[in-house]
Amino acid sequence: MSDLQLTVALVVRLLLLVLLAGMLWRGRVRHCWAFAAYVVAVLLGNTLVSLWPERFFNPPFWMVKQGVYDALKVAIALELAWRSFRAFPGAQRTAQRVLLALLALSTLSLVWVSSPSSFETLWEWQPPVATAALWLLTATALMVVWYQVPVNGWQRAIMLGLAPYLLVFVSLLGLLERRGWAAVGELFATAETLAYLALVAFWSWAAWRRDPAPAASAGSRA
Amino acid sequence: MTLELVLSSVGCALLCYTLGRYNRALTLQRWQFVLNAPERQAIESLRQRMAVDSALARQALEAAGRARETSRPPDALTVLRVALSVLEEAGADRLTRLRAMGVYSRMVRAISPLPPPSPAPFRGTELRAAASAAGVVHRLLVGTQERFRLWLLVLALGVRIVLRGGRRSADAAGREPQRPRHWKAFARGVDDFEALDACHLTAFEALVASLAAVDRGGRLRLWERIVGDAG
Repeated sequence: MSDLQLTVALVVRLLLLVLLAGMLWRGRVRHCWAFAAYVVAVLLGNTLVSLWPERFFNPPFWMVKQGVYDALKVAIALELAWRSFRAFPGAQRTAQRVLLALLALSTLSLVWVSSPSSFETLWEWQPPVATAALWLLTATALMVVWYQVPVNGWQRAIMLGLAPYLLVFVSLLGLLERRGWAAVGELFATAETLAYLALVAFWSWAAWRRDPAPAASAGSRA
Repeated sequence: MTLELVLSSVGCALLCYTLGRYNRALTLQRWQFVLNAPERQAIESLRQRMAVDSALARQALEAAGRARETSRPPDALTVLRVALSVLEEAGADRLTRLRAMGVYSRMVRAISPLPPPSPAPFRGTELRAAASAAGVVHRLLVGTQERFRLWLLVLALGVRIVLRGGRRSADAAGREPQRPRHWKAFARGVDDFEALDACHLTAFEALVASLAAVDRGGRLRLWERIVGDAG
């Protein structure tokens, strides 16, 4: 790891702690448990790689780590959708159908791209999984606006942060695939870490920000 | 990889656009309105507003007709323009309400069914054709919400057709004040506007009835869930 990467990883680790503290302090953990699990997983992964690089800074660990992150990203998208629509049965029915269709399509595309080699499979899965997670978030966002479903500022911040990062991630993977690790590996690692730094900084700010007070009660006249 | 890149870019752009424009305060306000919708009062006030608009347009049209019969074309045209401005103002109000009804129709669980659009109440050719076509589409749709939104589309289209026809007739009457054809066309437009208002009121009643279908306890629980989740 280069000095820059180590420094950025340290800042990311600190920001993850700030984020976690903000989520606990403001009671945001209950708004998306999968996100809390994701932050803890990233913090753990980052700490292991930074403190014991000789043992954990290698492709096999990267694959395992990324597999866990991918699963948690999909879980975040599904939990956000469930939390958004659970009070609205009509919208929930449509959301279930749309998300199920997206999951089915993603699974089919994963089966399509997978090679027989088990080690390379997870690497090949990265772009489709990131795209699937992004589209789960997009479908949720579109249905939130269509059905006028209220989502809080924190849930909105999770989606608004994660989507651009996933796009950057998929773009960098594309670059890596075309040019190879030898040519752009260093650039990939640095750019990805910087993008992640920006993402965690945004989430930390959103986690500590105060939400405006909710509107007055309803049903007084009903 | 190119496919994933394209899909990710489109998805990210859509998400940022929709959530970037998302206004939580407005959404909560809408839900508060939905859960507190004052049914009878809202219908009654809309009915009164429609009656006033119709009476104003009719009065202005009749006054223009009288001025024309007593050979005062400039006065007749001035009053006809007043009638047109009444229709235009009322039309803007109807279009705003139709847009809001479209939003609220997505927020309710189910909507009271409406009959298929029919050309019978209308006199204008374009409006009759639009209503006939919508009647056919109505039969092809299954859900009451989709049918309700089709109704809203037809009503909005109808208001635009009537306003455009009214402007055309008023301009033509200005060029040829003696020809009764243009005055009759304008009068037909006022009739159609009243028929559209009757349909508008029916759709509004259906929506309000659907909003009121949730009992008091259900409303309170839903509101608590909405604010609890969103707070």
